Amino acid sequence: MSQPTATRTVVVTNESGIHARAATLVAELVRCFESKVMLIKGNERVEGTDVLQVLSLGAGQGNELSLEATGQDAEKVLDELVKLFTENFSEEQSSDKEGNGTENK
Amino acid sequence: MKFADFVCLEAISAELTALDKEGTIREMVQGLLDAGQVEADEFESIVKAILKREELGSTGIGRGIAVPHTKHPSVDRLVGTVAVSHEGVDFDSLDGEVVHLLFLLISPPDRPGDHLRALENISRQLRDDTFCRFLKQSKTSEDIGQLLEEADNNQFES
Repeated sequence: MSQPTATRTVVVTNESGIHARAATLVAELVRCFESKVMLIKGNERVEGTDVLQVLSLGAGQGNELSLEATGQDAEKVLDELVKLFTENFSEEQSSDKEGNGTENK
Repeated sequence: MKFADFVCLEAISAELTALDKEGTIREMVQGLLDAGQVEADEFESIVKAILKREELGSTGIGRGIAVPHTKHPSVDRLVGTVAVSHEGVDFDSLDGEVVHLLFLLISPPDRPGDHLRALENISRQLRDDTFCRFLKQSKTSEDIGQLLEEADNNQFES
């Protein structure tokens, strides 16, 4: 009767936190799945498909987030989401050659 | 962080004339230049950096909102401006909609925290439909400045 649910806990490890591109990647990923995904930071719960809501968490490096999914592919979407976080949203971290968008002068 | 901490009131535009992404970004950075927030000889470099960031993925985040931004070594603190396009700008947004509300941010490369706090503030306020509607209806930069001030005073935040 009830839909499968899944939960995970992740820590934001990339330096820039969940900024615009990271939030967009989250929303794009969640949109590929059927399950409804919520991101939770403290008392705040936001919809994973909505970049604006995800950004409003202001999740920075070191913050812990809970992820909750409800739907047939709940486990799968969270596995993929956790991967996105642990891979630091494919960003190069400090001492990288070039920051995002920064001009080398 | 509040709007007053990073939005330059003199650079706000209530009526963007450009209809494409690059023109819009140029118009907004020009506003910051005219307001004395960025150096004239850094103008092209800043515009180029913002466009380069857009190539990584559009900052059109849906609901008619875009947050074009970049890190740039020429600024020593976060500077930003706001613009409204009544016509709507094609920004390759996530949801395919044209953009009416734009928040442009330029931050020093070593201050990712400030950038994130600014984005948090912008997105938190824009979650409120009334605030968005009033912003879109603004006719002058003074109207926009006043709305930002009201938002800073928690008059919209839900």
